[in-house]
Amino acid sequence: MPEPNTNQMAAGRPTVAEALDGLFNPRTIAVVGASRTKGKLGQAVMALLKSNGYSGTIIPVNPSGGEIEGLAAVRSLEEIDSPIDVVVLATPVGVALGALEACTRLDVRVVVGVTSGFSEAGEEGHENEERLRRIMQDAPFRLVGPNCEGVVRPASDLQLTFSPMFNDLHPGPVAMISQSGALAGLMALRLGERGVGINAIVSSGNETDLTAADLLDYLGNDPQTRVVLCYVEELRDGRRFAEAAQRLTKAGKHVVAVKGGRSRAGSRAVQSHTGAMAGDNRVISAVFRETGVIRARESVAAVDAVTALAAGRRPAGNRVGIISVTGGLGVEMTDLAESAGFEIPVLDETTQTALSRYVPFYGSVTNPVDLTGVVLANPTYVGRCLEAIAADPGVDIAIAIITFVPDQQFIEGMAEAYDSTDKPILIVWTGSARSNASGEALRERAVPVYDSPARAASGLAALAATTGEVT
Amino acid sequence: MTPRETLENWQRAGRKVVHEADAKDLLQRIGVPVPQRDPAHGRCVAKLCHDDYPHKSDHGLVRLGLSPDEAKQAAADMAERFAGGTALIEEMEEGSVAEWIIGCKRDDTFGPIVLAGPGGILVELIDAAEIRLAPATPQSAEAMVRSGPGARLLGGLRGAEPADKDALADLISRISVFFSENADLISEIEINPVMVRADGKGLVAADALIVLSPEADEQENFT
Repeated sequence: MPEPNTNQMAAGRPTVAEALDGLFNPRTIAVVGASRTKGKLGQAVMALLKSNGYSGTIIPVNPSGGEIEGLAAVRSLEEIDSPIDVVVLATPVGVALGALEACTRLDVRVVVGVTSGFSEAGEEGHENEERLRRIMQDAPFRLVGPNCEGVVRPASDLQLTFSPMFNDLHPGPVAMISQSGALAGLMALRLGERGVGINAIVSSGNETDLTAADLLDYLGNDPQTRVVLCYVEELRDGRRFAEAAQRLTKAGKHVVAVKGGRSRAGSRAVQSHTGAMAGDNRVISAVFRETGVIRARESVAAVDAVTALAAGRRPAGNRVGIISVTGGLGVEMTDLAESAGFEIPVLDETTQTALSRYVPFYGSVTNPVDLTGVVLANPTYVGRCLEAIAADPGVDIAIAIITFVPDQQFIEGMAEAYDSTDKPILIVWTGSARSNASGEALRERAVPVYDSPARAASGLAALAATTGEVT
Repeated sequence: MTPRETLENWQRAGRKVVHEADAKDLLQRIGVPVPQRDPAHGRCVAKLCHDDYPHKSDHGLVRLGLSPDEAKQAAADMAERFAGGTALIEEMEEGSVAEWIIGCKRDDTFGPIVLAGPGGILVELIDAAEIRLAPATPQSAEAMVRSGPGARLLGGLRGAEPADKDALADLISRISVFFSENADLISEIEINPVMVRADGKGLVAADALIVLSPEADEQENFT
């Protein structure tokens, strides 16, 4: 049986858009369970909110009052007489449910339930889950979670989570929706390391009220969003999710999704071939393909796909130009690109002439271009070669492969080459940890940088096809 | 009686699997071509249709290549062995160039979906079937017959005549619309095989199956 649709109940309940507008730009946040005790969720939430520079009003709620993180705590939510945009529940489940009930009598827009102990806790969580559903049936507010890691919005300096995995992100084109908080953390950290900007991250947890489909629709409509990255285990309203995804992809945005775990087993015995042939996994792949969702095998492949898409450069075709400081990596990249359906074309004569100024006789100026280690002698050479291959009229996507880098100028030269063109450029840098150079110039441009050809191939696949699976 | 009322009657009568003869009657009313019944000449197929035995050939309930008189005799023999069945004698379709499967079901995650691919014994090639959300628009159905390995089969492999893709796409779309409109009553619908003739010559549904959903109050008991 379908879950009761809590979206259409209770008069006075904010719409999804009203609730999320408030959530992402809150004036007032109340933290239930705010604490001075290290190791408690409420302590971590308060500390991260403060240290990330949130400038709105934070009200710690703690029954013993006093001061927390330099702010006067109220003893209960009822003591707050102003409207509250966001209430965070960071307490054990019993207290959280009491606070949630209190919210029904107050002027609250949205509650973020970090608290665990509901449906995910099986038998023991059953009673809590029942009580949660009863409260939510007529609640005049919306709920994110419970059992989630929270919400992050760099543009609002909003760090509503107990996890440090989301620190130091900056605003940008990627929105993330994850039913797993830990996977959201992993993906956020990896994207942040590459300099990819984040519009918003919502760890949606159990999705008792607000679902991945609600969030996809809202975040996809945000003009700041270029790519939405989703980790989902169970799509509660899969049809709406698919329809929202199709609207986004038709508007030229991208959705990259990882579907984890198995769906609930069908409740009916299969009578027909159709039932047997259209198994869960096949249907997911087919519907994702139909609606333009790029399906990634796992979270890191998803990050690699998103990194390439977030740069916002679309290839005009499937012809790839590859330059490498070593033959082997160029061959591996070529193999991967070709097996993914890309062409590695013969380069234009002008390009070959330009390259031959830098490449010794034992290298190669045919695609993939083997620059040889000689180019390392001059820190500007690789950048110039990248510029030359990106300028080739027969190349739609340029890939530069480097290993260890002896000099900072080397990276600056590559950044300049990136700026010299509108074509997508991917960089494979296998030895950044063994280089005398910082990747900062690449990070601040959010240039897609990968540590292996295989990971670059995930980015490549996402670039070319806004449909199909990323492997 | 509308097709929907027929479905409701069947459901009320407690039927779960609707056998081929009844399923075809209904499908014919929504514009699905079916073979001519009880022909006076030509080669015939005789079947015994029974809700309890949807996989007829497993029970010896299909006889092919008979004369009209032989078919009548065969049907009578089968009816004697399986009480409560409905005998069906049809003209045998011999002009087809491809056998296809078209099926619809309610997916637990995405709701109504439609599947189409190589049918008959080729259904075992599961990766060859195309799946879309139902109802499939005419464009979407068109894409289903032009994508994947099945498209090459329909295009005519090694000099074989190309199949009537337009008629097939039209049927996919038509079935998926009917299913979506009645997905509260039907949980699965399947035509397998659809005998697809050469380009411009249409097609015919050689076998069909409808699986009804339990009535609403029964569904409650399920969970």
